[in-house]
Amino acid sequence: MADGSIAAAPSMPGVASYAPPGGLHRLMRRRSTIAFLMALPLIAIIVLLVVYPTLYAIYLSMLNKRMTKFVGLGNFVFLLGRPTFQAVIFQSVLFAVSAVVLKAGIGFALAHFMHNIPSRRQRILRGLLLIPWVVPLAMSTLGWWWLFDPSYSAFNWVLNAFGAPSVPWLGQTWWARFSVILVNVWYGAPFFMIMYLAALKSVPEQLYEAAAIDGASAIQKLFFITLPMMRNIISITVLFSLIVTFANFDIVRILTNGGPQDSTHLFSTYAFQVGIQSGDIPLGASVSLFMLPILAVFAFFILRGVNRRTKEQMG
Amino acid sequence: MTSPRPLSRRAALAAGAAAAALPLVHIRTAAAAGKLTIAFWDHWVPGANDVMTKLVNEWSAKTKTECTIDFVTSVGNKNLLTIAAEAQAKTGHDINAFPTWEVHNNAQLLEPMDDVVKRLSAKYGEMSPIVEYLSKIDGSYRAMPSISGSQNKPPCARIDIFKEKVGMDLQSIFPAAPQMGPGYDQWTWDAFLAAADKCAKAGFPFGMPMGQFTDAVDWVGSVFHAYGAELVNAKGDITVNSDQVKQVMEWFKKLVPSLPEDVWSWDDASNNRALISGKSALIMNPPSAWAVAVRDNPTVGEKCWTFPPPAGPKGRFEAYLPYFWGVWNFSQNKTAAKELIEWLSEREQAERLCTASHGYDIPPFQSMSDFKVWAEEKPPLGTVYNYPMRPAHHSVASIAAQPAPPDVAVQIYNQATMTKMISKMATGGQTIDQAIAWAQTELEGFTR
Amino acid sequence: MSVTTATAPLAAPVRRPRSLRAERRWALYGSYVALGFFVIFFLIPPFHMFMTSLKTSAEISSESGNPWLVAHPTLSNYIELILAPNFQTFFWNSTKITVCVVVITMVISVLAAFSLARMKFWGSQTLATGVFLTYLVPESLLFIPMFQIIGALGLTNNAWAMVLLYPTLSVPFCTWIMIGYFASIPKELDEAALIDGASWFQMLTQIFIPVAMPGIIAATIFAFTVSWGTFLYPMAYLFSSNQMVLTVGIVSDLIRADVFQWGKIMAGSLMAAAPPVIIYAFLMDYYIAGLTAGATKG
Repeated sequence: MADGSIAAAPSMPGVASYAPPGGLHRLMRRRSTIAFLMALPLIAIIVLLVVYPTLYAIYLSMLNKRMTKFVGLGNFVFLLGRPTFQAVIFQSVLFAVSAVVLKAGIGFALAHFMHNIPSRRQRILRGLLLIPWVVPLAMSTLGWWWLFDPSYSAFNWVLNAFGAPSVPWLGQTWWARFSVILVNVWYGAPFFMIMYLAALKSVPEQLYEAAAIDGASAIQKLFFITLPMMRNIISITVLFSLIVTFANFDIVRILTNGGPQDSTHLFSTYAFQVGIQSGDIPLGASVSLFMLPILAVFAFFILRGVNRRTKEQMG
Repeated sequence: MTSPRPLSRRAALAAGAAAAALPLVHIRTAAAAGKLTIAFWDHWVPGANDVMTKLVNEWSAKTKTECTIDFVTSVGNKNLLTIAAEAQAKTGHDINAFPTWEVHNNAQLLEPMDDVVKRLSAKYGEMSPIVEYLSKIDGSYRAMPSISGSQNKPPCARIDIFKEKVGMDLQSIFPAAPQMGPGYDQWTWDAFLAAADKCAKAGFPFGMPMGQFTDAVDWVGSVFHAYGAELVNAKGDITVNSDQVKQVMEWFKKLVPSLPEDVWSWDDASNNRALISGKSALIMNPPSAWAVAVRDNPTVGEKCWTFPPPAGPKGRFEAYLPYFWGVWNFSQNKTAAKELIEWLSEREQAERLCTASHGYDIPPFQSMSDFKVWAEEKPPLGTVYNYPMRPAHHSVASIAAQPAPPDVAVQIYNQATMTKMISKMATGGQTIDQAIAWAQTELEGFTR
Repeated sequence: MSVTTATAPLAAPVRRPRSLRAERRWALYGSYVALGFFVIFFLIPPFHMFMTSLKTSAEISSESGNPWLVAHPTLSNYIELILAPNFQTFFWNSTKITVCVVVITMVISVLAAFSLARMKFWGSQTLATGVFLTYLVPESLLFIPMFQIIGALGLTNNAWAMVLLYPTLSVPFCTWIMIGYFASIPKELDEAALIDGASWFQMLTQIFIPVAMPGIIAATIFAFTVSWGTFLYPMAYLFSSNQMVLTVGIVSDLIRADVFQWGKIMAGSLMAAAPPVIIYAFLMDYYIAGLTAGATKG
């Protein structure tokens, strides 16, 4: 698994025995310095451009509106008491969870279908199905927006042609939520499909054949072979997608700007509205930071599980 | 040039690129009065940016100041981001175009402009009280209203539909003449309600947005003012639970059935599209919608007429959305900056700017409402004559949430408390009292 | 494992093939149908965007006609954009920045991944797992404190500021992919190289990089896609037309106040989408092999 399997260490003692004894010491020392130096640019980027601004943002979130006084967790307490913010929490969770579940489900299903067809045909279909993910999100969201436009929606045109009434895609709370989730799923499903397709390919065929001979049905194969083998990749992709989906800004901002009466606001878009637009930057920072501890805990547990399973597998 | 030419995108882009890319270098004599960097609002009317550039060039040559101009768009609140960035980084353009509430948001960092305001007011008369409300902080004016970008949002409607379905002859009630016509005093919000109902039944509903964007907040705010309904008063007390608020909510309750179902999510361009497509009989918007209709759908465009808004019990209020030109107090060349702003606000320059924008821009002085451009724009001739507020209109400029203290008002405005109240009542199944109670809690949060 | 039992019953397979084949055939058709359905779903918006880009402004505004088809197709939107100096500048800026960012990202990622996958220093385990977590802090939060950093460096409204910022979006994921890939390279190769007296650097360039090439290509493509399509950072930091990149430029230039030029917006968007799509078309196989192998190797 991609966790840096620091089981690389065991190989060194074997090599060291070939090198002159005095050189061993030097080699070991040099190795970790070199290692550190090679990782230094990465560390520099993370510290200077991610950690420092984050700390500053945390500091900002603890100031009052005019940025003159330190108020500790005052902003957070205030936010938790506001019905609008409580709704934002609900909406963000709804959006992220349902979008990720759908993306994973669709990606998984698509991967299976792809797996079933001969490889030559796969290439073209893979290419076509990747397109949503490849087009810059801001651009495709504009395209979707035009498809949902109240006056000119092409979807409504089709509906009207069949005699059905127009749907207020972005006009009513639940339709707007649906539309936003739809666009996110459209955008993200190809990523899941690709990851799962390769994971499927790496599951040995013999397992399936053996199970078939034992009389296993398709469902049983799915639950007892496929899913366990893919557990790591599923965990990692779900985690990654959850993090990224919670942080989503472009889709909601362009499609609904928070939606009918704030009903599609996510943390990032709400932060923009109360922060930059209403001139209370510390409050905006608090909104943005709200999910950080929760997601961090979640990520910690998932990554720990993945690490442990990988170590077990590698023995 | 009176009617808008078919927009030549290439030319506009080319000119814009040239203007934005080249620093405007002028006579570099020893007496150069320094450098200036300016961020103007990126005007949507093609050619308006060029005229602005030309004007600045002229001033620059006269005063031997080297000027660099950027045009920053308001799309995606880009200008808000730029202002926030410069405020945080304490470095940036000397002059910026500040949208409505940004003067207040950045008051501590803006250079006082009282001398400029005083001199200009002495020459051209008073400005609207809204200007003072939005830009006078701690006793001094922090910015000067800009011409470019400042706009009104009066009704713009279809002459033919109003004549046939409503029985109102817009051109005779609101003629392109110094005096208003017969029936002007009967143009009240109740008459508006009746007209909306008739047009909806005829299949051409009014395109009145009720979402969270400024088009919605502005017109709803002007109705609140017309009924004397204040959410928060000038002292900062929450007065949402009042008879006037209840009265205006009743009015909205009667209006909503006549509006299209999806107005709750309309953005600022939706009402434009409703008018241009011919679907809507009336919108409240600056002339941008009409201008595009003339280009893209002339049968609709040439039947549009702009006229003053209806009157309510407390008066006739028209939504006015000013931009401001302000100077950062960390600027290196404040004197030149203030000089330029003062020069641009003078009558000759103002007229050139308004004409370049085909009448879209509104200068802050009532005395400047007689520029020729508004009388000459067509088709149809006189269509935007009544777009600026004229003495005969007897109307007052309105900005939603006034007279609340501006740092509360900006939240009411940006978080669209008024339209949300209405939507809770109209689509959320709540009673007026419940909606008011909800607003009370919201406002308590804003006033913390 | 049940592999041993697979060889046991010989009688059963004789009966199986027919029903198995029929079953497989149903699965095949079903798969095609399902895939076809999703292909249509995925391609509806790009198709509609393409159709809109062929329409004139008047045709878009009028409500007659089929929004899914073009009555009077015109290439004017494309031509005007291609000839517009602004658009050319956006394209050039995007290209310039993306190339730089991809190079920087790959250098940093490969070095760091090699270090974290093969060598050890204090904290490397945490770093390898934790590099992932930098995504927890969203762009929409980071850009505000970054105003100060960018301002202090004098890089406001400068396209080069993007070269500084974009790596924060691409380096963590690319590093993670490379770590997975490098970790899957057999240790015997290391040992053989060291016995031959190779330095770490030689090992990296002559063994690891060639062997992990699919992963490197995958990471490169990922970095390219992210840099090409980022929206928020350029939105926040660039305001002159001559500094903007494609994503922001299209939105800023073609949407003015409340006037949208949909035909051009769609044409511009499709042209902005072209480079990533073309790259994917050529390198997709590598990309998929690299992305997935790196992630799933265990």
